[in-house]
Amino acid sequence: MSFELGDLSYALPILVLVVGGLLLLLMEAFSTGRSRAYLVPMTVLVVLASIAADVSVWSQVGEGGHSIMSGMLEIDRLSLFANAIFLTACGLTALLAGAYMQEHRFEFGEFYALIVFATAGMMILAAASDMVSIFLGLEIMSLAVYVLTGSWRRSPKSSEGAMKYFLVGSVASAVLLYGMALIYGAVGSTSLQAIANSKGAYVEPIFIIGLLLVLTAFAFKIAAVPFHMWAPDAYEGAPTPVTGFMAAGVKAAAFVILIRMCGTAFSRSELALGSTGWVSILKWVAVITMTFGNLAALRQENIKRLLAYSSVSHAGYLLIGLIATATVGNEARGPLLYYLAAYTFTTMGAFGVVAWLGRHGDERLQLDDWAGLAAKHPAAALAMTIFMLSLGGVPPTAGFFGKFYLFRAALGRADLTWLVVIAVLNSVVSVYYYLRVVTTMYFREPARESSPLQSRSVTAALVLAVIGTLLIGILPGWLVETASSALLGS
Amino acid sequence: MILTILTFLPIAGALCLLFIPREEEGLHRGIALGTALATFFWSLRLLPDFDTGGFNHVVDSEWVPKLGIHYHMGVDGISLWLVMLTTFLMPIVLLSTYSSITKKVREFMVAVLVLEAGMIGTFLALDMFLFYVFWEIMLIPMYFIIGIWGGDRRLYAAIKFVLYTMVGSLLMIVAILYLYVKHHELTQVWSFDYFALSKVALGRHEELYCFLAFALAFCIKVPLFPFHTWLPDAHVEAPTAGSVLLAAVMLKFGTYGLLRYAIPLFPHAFVVCAPYLATLSVIGIIYGSLVAFAQTDIKKMIAYSSVAHLAFVVLGLAMWNAKSVDGAVYQMLAHGISTGGLFLCIGALYERRHTRKLDEYGGIATIMPRFFAIFLIITLASVGLPALSGFVGEFLILLGSFTASKSWAAAGLPLMVPHHTTLYAFLATTGVILSAVYMLYLFQRVMFGPLSNARNRDLKDLSAREVVIFIPMVVMAFWLGIYPSTFLTGIDPAVQRTIAEFKAKQEASGDVAKIVHVTETGR
Repeated sequence: MSFELGDLSYALPILVLVVGGLLLLLMEAFSTGRSRAYLVPMTVLVVLASIAADVSVWSQVGEGGHSIMSGMLEIDRLSLFANAIFLTACGLTALLAGAYMQEHRFEFGEFYALIVFATAGMMILAAASDMVSIFLGLEIMSLAVYVLTGSWRRSPKSSEGAMKYFLVGSVASAVLLYGMALIYGAVGSTSLQAIANSKGAYVEPIFIIGLLLVLTAFAFKIAAVPFHMWAPDAYEGAPTPVTGFMAAGVKAAAFVILIRMCGTAFSRSELALGSTGWVSILKWVAVITMTFGNLAALRQENIKRLLAYSSVSHAGYLLIGLIATATVGNEARGPLLYYLAAYTFTTMGAFGVVAWLGRHGDERLQLDDWAGLAAKHPAAALAMTIFMLSLGGVPPTAGFFGKFYLFRAALGRADLTWLVVIAVLNSVVSVYYYLRVVTTMYFREPARESSPLQSRSVTAALVLAVIGTLLIGILPGWLVETASSALLGS
Repeated sequence: MILTILTFLPIAGALCLLFIPREEEGLHRGIALGTALATFFWSLRLLPDFDTGGFNHVVDSEWVPKLGIHYHMGVDGISLWLVMLTTFLMPIVLLSTYSSITKKVREFMVAVLVLEAGMIGTFLALDMFLFYVFWEIMLIPMYFIIGIWGGDRRLYAAIKFVLYTMVGSLLMIVAILYLYVKHHELTQVWSFDYFALSKVALGRHEELYCFLAFALAFCIKVPLFPFHTWLPDAHVEAPTAGSVLLAAVMLKFGTYGLLRYAIPLFPHAFVVCAPYLATLSVIGIIYGSLVAFAQTDIKKMIAYSSVAHLAFVVLGLAMWNAKSVDGAVYQMLAHGISTGGLFLCIGALYERRHTRKLDEYGGIATIMPRFFAIFLIITLASVGLPALSGFVGEFLILLGSFTASKSWAAAGLPLMVPHHTTLYAFLATTGVILSAVYMLYLFQRVMFGPLSNARNRDLKDLSAREVVIFIPMVVMAFWLGIYPSTFLTGIDPAVQRTIAEFKAKQEASGDVAKIVHVTETGR
């Protein structure tokens, strides 16, 4: 376990992003004139380069995975698959953000560098195999996202959202550190593998408390009930492309590290199962999260808050997948990753349409503003319909297959059947409010004139999201194969 | 390949429409009608050399190999005529919209064609995952058809329709997954294949839960009393074309699903539940008829008559002998023609007067003689007059029910007095009489009497286009009534086979889940 220069080749996707992010920052600093639009293609270029690096490392590491940086990072297919999800979210956010910021007059040059840094943080988090690197990755990601949330300085809601997100996030970080300290106290090591191999330590109360604190911290990050309070405000206040980035990227990163921790450090059956194991706690968290998220979304009149609560409920479905990894094992990791990929395309697309509709500092977030959209803008309405159907889990979209695949994994154990039934009934509830959006767009008469963004990059982002949502929904085969080969290393 | 083209031809037509500017309404109508006609003529290719012994034109290729999901389709004697019914009605429905749908023509045509593809696919699917996908795909176009082109309360009706269907179908997917996981436990093979899953005999308890999940999905779709409340709303608010498709084809997915999936997959659970199904259908027959009689809105009347007629079909299935099940399948076809025809008739009236209130009409016979003749034939077909379509199915169901005691005993069904099959048959027969009462009442109120309402004086009789719409319906009403063998030669062997496999599976299964070998006729 020492540092070798060759290790760097495994960290190539992260390095490309960090170097690219620094270049973006420099370009911003030395650029003259007001427009920052040229940073969009630059960011996309950085993302594409990182994706290329990711693909090449994928074939390099093979099934086993590779531990680098003295055991700080574990580059395995799980982390590489997750990287592709983060990069997709990052690229789509960049495409959406250029025209959005121009329209709302807050061209914020560091924006692009920050989303790239946040993505690098997510990658570190996803690959972290030591509690120190977990914390490092989490903070790199979170700090960048706090700033992004508040980047629309003239909007009071943006500042409010950022403040709430920052305060709650800091508490979560503190809780996480406390939990890690307790676990270190019980085991004497911060390495996830060492924790997994420690004999006897896992029954000590101090260890159990540490574990619960760590899980609580991540429950904040994925906005699981009852730690979701910040989500609607932060989602509403953040610039819409950033909201999409938070919903897709941050959530995915938190889930991937949860998969890793639950698959290594907390994987012992004494710790996971049984009446006080984390599985039985997460089961109830999942039930409450799904149900509360869906019921709260029913009454929302603001589309961003509606999508925020929908995002809370999706965290609930994803928790079922996480629970299934404890009882079914590797079989359940593929579905979870597939779901995250499907959710990324869909939710980025949905927030993309929201971002597209606003004009001149007026975001048009009320559902009433969407009335009759289909008459004027049939293509955008169709895209939004596809995203809503996908979020609701109606075939032939990615969201449907994701849910189906996830429930299939959960049904591998008979004692999770009731959880699946609750999730399914929740889906029915969710269909109501997703269709409310569709109903508003198609069945009601236009209320206000709308003159949405005219931008090629926004159109490109939406088209990519639609293609992604439909393609992996209709032909899920290759993604299923890839996701289920994205195993934990060693 | 025949089936793949049959299913996706309408989708191809719909895609074509998307590339034509929306102003070209005539072209949209023409292409949609052409696609529907082409699909119909293509479906005629199923008929020659049809092997009634099993599934024809089977296509089976991998879709998601890792999860054992296949693109597997086939057509047997039961699905054959239901597919034909769908393709037959579609051009008629599209022709009927020439005057009634005037806004957003392109979107309407796309929705109808996607709906057609979904319906055909659902009938043909032999992979449970594929079945579920098509089943759900049907939902969205119908939601738009009701919601965009519907009446005043269309928002409410559309969302109610979707949510009701969703509750059932999502529980069904859990049951499908449960069956799939059990199949893997027993054989170590992942498969959604209908024939593979048919071999899984579940233990008693799990079987009952799975049956209930399937049956709930299908009973909502039928709709069986007390799950019927979405239907009157959907029918009343939907445009004519939507009502016709809903009544004539979509409701059949409920009964088709019971016959193809719920009953054969879970024989023991069916035996336990059959008396309840039969009781609910008898309640549905009588309740539907009485409520229909009390309506003042013509469309609502027909909607409730559908509840009663479809309950007849469920009764035929619950009796579970060859005669009654033949009758049930036959009644599905007959109801498609007669109720589809009735909704077209109401549509023709509505286009002229823009009201569905029964009080507004009266004495129409004198000024619309052509309409009179057609409406009379279709009304009588719906009532079940001999020599018309409704008679054969109802007769077979009642015959099967009166003689069902023996087969119920043989199938292990309980024969306590309250569940005595003759009693069901007797009560159902009163439903036939009631249906004659309300349909003739409807006919009389619309057609006869003095022409008192001034606004009815200058109604125009059916145009040439409308006559073209109705002639095929009238021909089919007579054909189904006079020469049932055309259809029964295909239906009967398939029904016999289904019942035989049901028996084999029932005898072989026990308290714990296992794989049983029923005669496999699929490939």
